[in-house]
Amino acid sequence: MIGRLLGPRRARQLQRFVRNGKLTILCLLLTVIMFRGYLGAGRFGTPEKDLDDIRVTLSYIRKRPEPRRVLEEAQGELKSAENAGAGSNNYADFDIRKILRDEDDGVEEFKRDPSQPYSLGSEISNWDEQRAKWLQSNPKFPNFIRENKPRVLLVTGSSPKPCENPVGDHYLLKSIKNKIDYCRLHGIEIFYNMALLDVEMSGFWAKLPLIRKLLLSHPEVEFLWWMDSDAMFTDMAFELPWERYKDVNFVLHGWDEMIYDQKNWIGLNTGSFLLRNCQWSLDILDMWAPMGPKGKVREEAGKVLTRELKERPVFEADDQSAMVYILATQKEKWASKVYLENAYYLHGYWGILVDKYEDMIESYHPGYGDHRWPLVTHFVGCKPCGKFGDYPVERCLKQMDRAFNFGDNQILRMYGFTHDSLGSRSVRRIRNETSTPLAVRDELGLLHPAFKAVKV
Amino acid sequence: MAADPTYSAQKRNPTILPQTTSDDDDGGPRGRHLPKGRHGDRKFGNIRITILCGFVTVLVLRGTIGLSNLVSFEADAESQYLIEETNRIVTAIRSDDDPPDPDDENSPNSTSAFNLGPKIKNWDQDKKLWRRRNPQFPYFINGRPKTYLVTSSSPSPCENSIGDHYLLKFLKNKIDYCRIHGIELVYNTAHLDKEMSGHWGKLLQIRQLMVAHPEAEWIWWMDSDALFTDMVFEIPFHRYRSSNLIIHGYPDMLFNEKSWIALNTGSFLLRNSQWSLDLLDVWAQMGPRGRPREEAGKILTSSLKGRPALEADDQSALIYLLISQRERWMNMVSIESSYCLHGFWESLVDRYKEMMEKYRPGFGDERWPFVTHFVGCRTCASNGDYPVERCLKSMEMAYNFADNQVLNLYGFRHRGLVSTNIKRIRNESVTPVVNVDKFGIRNSLRGNKG
Repeated sequence: MIGRLLGPRRARQLQRFVRNGKLTILCLLLTVIMFRGYLGAGRFGTPEKDLDDIRVTLSYIRKRPEPRRVLEEAQGELKSAENAGAGSNNYADFDIRKILRDEDDGVEEFKRDPSQPYSLGSEISNWDEQRAKWLQSNPKFPNFIRENKPRVLLVTGSSPKPCENPVGDHYLLKSIKNKIDYCRLHGIEIFYNMALLDVEMSGFWAKLPLIRKLLLSHPEVEFLWWMDSDAMFTDMAFELPWERYKDVNFVLHGWDEMIYDQKNWIGLNTGSFLLRNCQWSLDILDMWAPMGPKGKVREEAGKVLTRELKERPVFEADDQSAMVYILATQKEKWASKVYLENAYYLHGYWGILVDKYEDMIESYHPGYGDHRWPLVTHFVGCKPCGKFGDYPVERCLKQMDRAFNFGDNQILRMYGFTHDSLGSRSVRRIRNETSTPLAVRDELGLLHPAFKAVKV
Repeated sequence: MAADPTYSAQKRNPTILPQTTSDDDDGGPRGRHLPKGRHGDRKFGNIRITILCGFVTVLVLRGTIGLSNLVSFEADAESQYLIEETNRIVTAIRSDDDPPDPDDENSPNSTSAFNLGPKIKNWDQDKKLWRRRNPQFPYFINGRPKTYLVTSSSPSPCENSIGDHYLLKFLKNKIDYCRIHGIELVYNTAHLDKEMSGHWGKLLQIRQLMVAHPEAEWIWWMDSDALFTDMVFEIPFHRYRSSNLIIHGYPDMLFNEKSWIALNTGSFLLRNSQWSLDLLDVWAQMGPRGRPREEAGKILTSSLKGRPALEADDQSALIYLLISQRERWMNMVSIESSYCLHGFWESLVDRYKEMMEKYRPGFGDERWPFVTHFVGCRTCASNGDYPVERCLKSMEMAYNFADNQVLNLYGFRHRGLVSTNIKRIRNESVTPVVNVDKFGIRNSLRGNKG
């Protein structure tokens, strides 16, 4: 039809023009799309949104040399930059790292000889004798508070720097309050560590030099109880069955079959365990440490562990896998003094517990320590102090609140209060006060429990 | 990156493209340059278009379903998502507070006398009887009276995360002191009573602990912004055998000047006794939120020197109480200034280095302050009374100053007062018990010696 209007030659030209035009337009479209993608405006919002995105990206390119701390900026984003000066009274956008720095105060430093293979400290072979002698000369610090009640030191810790996540420190605070409460009720002492004793043993390995140091510096302590900062007590009434452990030195949550038969990397958990203060423990710590030093050693060890242990993913060596490996491969040497406990939740994986709290409240009561009322709820993988965890942030934080309140209710009940609900921070009174408070006993008997009593 | 790689590729390699048919050609020769086939030419052009369209579609789809791997700022996108998600969650956590109280200042209760609880009359006798019946919960251990240290903070996150970080560090500091000195630590994060809000909440917490723990001889209130800077010093309890309240302050400022800062209620001890319960009851009258607190505030401002116009606070109220009812209370009150039961931070923090050079832990006074109290910094709020940098730097210094004393037993020390890193200052020993005897604070304390 066009051909009839314009003449054949013209028509052909027009067609060619149209065809090329289509091509040109398509190419243009392609160009625009790809440029949008490169400039970061790839989400196909309104043109205005695109302009915003592009603006953000270009400003990022300008600032590129300085690394950006994502989540700290989240807080300060909305405040004006002028307030961050030294004279400002506003905490919102102050970066603490501005003031933290190492200084030389003239006190001599002792460094480990780097040419020597890594060791946790000077070799000691007579710790049992040294300790026994010390205990004898210090009767005011017995290692047993009562018969069958050893002196226990609960050890936990976190980084001395603020958390990368803006609510991380708040959850660390709640977690330590929870531990303070349990330990006060049970006559256990706490050491909260915020110092990295050995730069080589960083991350989850940091507990090893710390544990050794504490054992040797506190001969009065009979058991050291390591507990991760992301683990919380949810049964305030449960006292550990100390008599069960009188002939063992190392108590962890786990299953014999999973370690000795299957060599499963999660056959035990090193987030909550007991270690007796004795030579045997120093020896196993020495056996444990070699896979820890960061760098090549840890990476190579990681490969060995992934190869040897069941279902272990590929990553650098961690203390838990290393312990599984040691126990599985040196069973004759260590197993007789190791107790893998699973009758109660010395470590309780949060994923299978937190949704059941309301059922537990309805059907059971504190004191069981097991699936009916878990002693410890351990938020493995949540990493509230870090930037990224293995689970959605909201689920983790919400459930940590619930676990905290679940445990806190048992403390508040002592004084006649309870949380309005497991998700609520506010509390209400459930027991009227009286003018003769000593005539009333708290239902769980936690104000003056038998396990707190001293030898008379 | 080429604008249209496919097109140029096509131009370079026409032979690899599949042939398609097209019907947009009329008859007539295409051109002398490609005599072989109009068809080929036509098909060629159509193919190019088809492929380009296909490419565009793929790109659009990639963008829509989020596979924008071409973009080198993918990490940025993820970070952006995290920021938004975290902000949303943090806001949700912070806003999940008590709903505003429908009973406001015009509450009918505000006119009648406020009660911290039912009136207890025979506390001294009841407590004595309980103690006799329960010797397994002693009130005196190793020459020291059993003490409960109580401190508290809000159940919600601080306005800024740095506030929570220092709450955590200061709590660790208290854990250390209490462990070394055998003191029970109670950390409260519950608002027990809507009326006794803010700092007034401490009165209820103290009373609650007293009546629940008859084995406690002393209840020691300490603010969350105060920390121990002398890990060796112990309260000289033998000095206070006939006192029920130990508080830092200056008697002349109290009775002569009637100054509103004559005493400091950020760190004080109350004996577990009937006297203390009575004091708390009277003290609490100025506390209830709303009308009573405001009216009381006016009285306090007019009676006390230097007090600005604000609602009643617990410190001014206690000062006023002790002045106006001097005969009733003062004979059992010890106003201490010989050691820093409360040490105002501003005059102390700049001297820590000097102290480390000249003195040693154990003095508890201006030479080596027992407690450093960061009044006015308010790190848990969004603003304080002092520049942020000064407060935070000083708090970090005070914390490290104290932590050095704890780490000493283990052979470590901070790399300077503003460093979170530590260094080893003593070689590992094959006889660690020697170091325990030498450097362990607990072992060298008076009541603990063997």
